[in-house]
Amino acid sequence: MIMILYWSLPMILFILGLFCFVSNRKHLLSMLLSLEFIVLILFFMLFIYLNMLNYESYFSMMFLTFSVCEGALGLSILVSMIRTHGNDYFQSFNIM
Amino acid sequence: MFNNSSKILFITVMIIGTLITVTSNSWLGAWMGLEINLLSFIPLLSDNNNLTSTESSLKYFLTQALASTVLLFSVILLMLKNNFNNEVNESFTSMMIMSSLLLKSGAAPFHFWFPNMMEGLNWMNSLLLMTWQKIAPLMLISYLNIKELLLISVILSVIVGAIGGLNQTSLRKLMSFSSINHLGWMLSSLMISESIWLVYFLFYSFLSFILTFMFNIFKLFHLNQLFSWFINSKILKFTLFMNFLSLGGLPPFLGFLPKWLVIQQLTSCNQYFLLTAMMMSTLITLFFYLRICYSAFMLNYFENNWMMTLNMNNFNMNLYLILTFFSIFGLILISLFFFML
Repeated sequence: MIMILYWSLPMILFILGLFCFVSNRKHLLSMLLSLEFIVLILFFMLFIYLNMLNYESYFSMMFLTFSVCEGALGLSILVSMIRTHGNDYFQSFNIM
Repeated sequence: MFNNSSKILFITVMIIGTLITVTSNSWLGAWMGLEINLLSFIPLLSDNNNLTSTESSLKYFLTQALASTVLLFSVILLMLKNNFNNEVNESFTSMMIMSSLLLKSGAAPFHFWFPNMMEGLNWMNSLLLMTWQKIAPLMLISYLNIKELLLISVILSVIVGAIGGLNQTSLRKLMSFSSINHLGWMLSSLMISESIWLVYFLFYSFLSFILTFMFNIFKLFHLNQLFSWFINSKILKFTLFMNFLSLGGLPPFLGFLPKWLVIQQLTSCNQYFLLTAMMMSTLITLFFYLRICYSAFMLNYFENNWMMTLNMNNFNMNLYLILTFFSIFGLILISLFFFML
């Protein structure tokens, strides 16, 4: 029973995060925020898994590093979008 | 491109990321390689102050980030299943892994980002996107064995690649739909054996390299540029359009050889329905290649009175002609060597 609670909560949260990611908001920044939410849920799942397996959770550190790099890359794309377009609305992007 | 030191760095890291993915022995390592690949491919895409390339790098980032999070999620579920004997269905998790990898490679049910994104890139980046970025996801797909989803994806990819390219006037979109079609063939060759996939991939990379090389030199981005540009040089005109036919897979040219191998292997596996769908839709791609070549291959054609003499003696032209020789006579040469040995 406790296993189901352990795993079904992050799964539901992950699916909610995916819905939030693909729900076509007005701003790019909200999409990046929901991406960070998904990454946090993944970190939660990974941490529970690694704790169960006595992996000493070193992979969670690498996961955090990679996800921080990804978030920084998303923010830098946001900055370059603002430099070229002047805003971060999805309706002002041409080819999307 | 190769005089820029930061681009050299990013290209090296991109290659390293793909190699990490291909050589890793766990799914977590494969995920890390994919992330490194993404992190270094984005700065290659976004040129300074170019509006469309920034947008396409944004689009690439969003789709790939989504795909890699779903990949990691399903990998965790798979490890959970393997280590704790949890009641998660195995085929469910591998289906999720498969669909996230199909999204990464741009195969058919998940292909919508691919032509739109390619519209904003220059030719070198589109070549990288069409060839190198396919290696890691396809290699990971070959580790999974669920035939049904792969079969659906193959049939949808070849059909989408054929139908989507029909009414295009942009060469980049045309090449991207043709890439989706070839991706369907690659996925189907992946079902049979990995070595045939490698052969198909190498031949496809060679052919699309020749075409994008030429498009990049002359900065060709639309069909009407193709119609009017090559009037003054008959060699250039005929070889370029023969390269098109070779990419489409017309029999006397080199592009038919990997298709030939796939057809042979699929017939020996009794996959006739799949084979029929693939060949019919490839016929449609050949139709739209032929429609491009139509004006160039006519006996009666428009000719200028003045001649703009093209310098055919520089390095790029010599490289192009040598590669084109292999693209046009390659199948004949390979058959000759096969019978001589």
